[in-house]
Amino acid sequence: MTTLPSLDPLLHQPVRTQIAAYLAGRGEATFAELKRALAATDGNLDAHLSKLLEAGYLESRKEASTGGRPQTVFSLSGKGRQAFLDYVATLSQLLPGKTVSDALLRSATAPR
Amino acid sequence: MSHLERMQSIQAMLAAGHRCVELERHSLLLWGLVGGGLCACTDLVINSDTFPEPTQRAIAILVWLATWLGGMSWLDHHLTHKARAKRAETMPFAQAQVTRAWWMLLALGTLATFAMFFHGGGIMIYALWTVLLGLGIFVFGLFSRPLIEWIGLATILLGATGLATGLSFDTARWLAASTFAIGLPAAGWLAARSDEHRPVQRALYVVLWLVAVIAPVLAFARHTATAAAPAPDTATLKVPAGSVIPLHFDLDSPLLAISAGDAMPMRLVRDAELALANGQPDGRYRFGDGSWHSTKEGVLALRIDRIRVEVTAGKPEVRMHGNFVVQGERP
Repeated sequence: MTTLPSLDPLLHQPVRTQIAAYLAGRGEATFAELKRALAATDGNLDAHLSKLLEAGYLESRKEASTGGRPQTVFSLSGKGRQAFLDYVATLSQLLPGKTVSDALLRSATAPR
Repeated sequence: MSHLERMQSIQAMLAAGHRCVELERHSLLLWGLVGGGLCACTDLVINSDTFPEPTQRAIAILVWLATWLGGMSWLDHHLTHKARAKRAETMPFAQAQVTRAWWMLLALGTLATFAMFFHGGGIMIYALWTVLLGLGIFVFGLFSRPLIEWIGLATILLGATGLATGLSFDTARWLAASTFAIGLPAAGWLAARSDEHRPVQRALYVVLWLVAVIAPVLAFARHTATAAAPAPDTATLKVPAGSVIPLHFDLDSPLLAISAGDAMPMRLVRDAELALANGQPDGRYRFGDGSWHSTKEGVLALRIDRIRVEVTAGKPEVRMHGNFVVQGERP
């Protein structure tokens, strides 16, 4: 009997998977950019970002804004990047023959 | 959400993260206006009348292009940062890098324009600018919408095809101006309406874009051809094929000098007709019963491809091979 590989419960949630994938591709994004890319509501996005920050999967920094409030910029931490890679690898094992584009994944996880 | 849907969602978000470069409306308008304006006006401002010496003209072109393009790069960069900050957005890493590549392309075009005054090749300057613009659009497209990428390729092909088919200098100039002034804003307008998952729609939009860019140039070329034809009462001089025409060659060289009055006899191989004003050619001509052209179109070109020194009977001789061609026709 074989044991199915287990998926990271923190990333195994649609909005959080999307946040991790978008940040892996883009590098960093503000709250407004994430909201637009994911078509999420403020409350929903805020709740999921908080969980990823608490787990150390995300890093945030404040950036001075011209004429407005300072913006918070989010990016994947080293731990979060590794967790995302492991999550995609595990998901690929569950779906033989189906995986995300290698080129996309490689460039998304390359150090910037 | 099934595992498969989740995997597809990851793929989509990774791609969205990569293709995060936004071509701002002000960037497309600014570059379109300035690029188109420079293509259309540079020859009117900097020419052999305003700067008779080629070196002066080369430096004037360098300063002119560097001022406009450098100033516009600064303004665009400033406005883009301002627009992003207003929308609470960051400047993505990819956009910062692609913008640097765009500046490099502009610098390359400026230096190539300058160098052509000393090393020749000026006939293809507007084709080169069209290709450089295409490269810039293509690189932006790689990190933006796929339609932009396709339009970049179409622009490169447009420039290369113009060169290969021997478009006249003037037509190539207006094609470059149209690609900047109409092409850039049109690319942004179409990209905002395109669905990246529908390649057929994308292909249709590229065709629409090509029509929008090429149609005004064709109309202009037709207008120019009509304008070049002399009025019925204009005096013309018909020169039949076989006529011997002396070529007075004004050689500017520190090594060799041509004696005043020396001329090389040349034989005309096709019937030609010249329009006259006050008894002298006014720059309009045609071969056989073909359409009329103006020398300002830059259709006539002399290409020297080989110079060899030989010694005959103890005396040196310079042998030169060149093509005196009509652009668009095989030599």
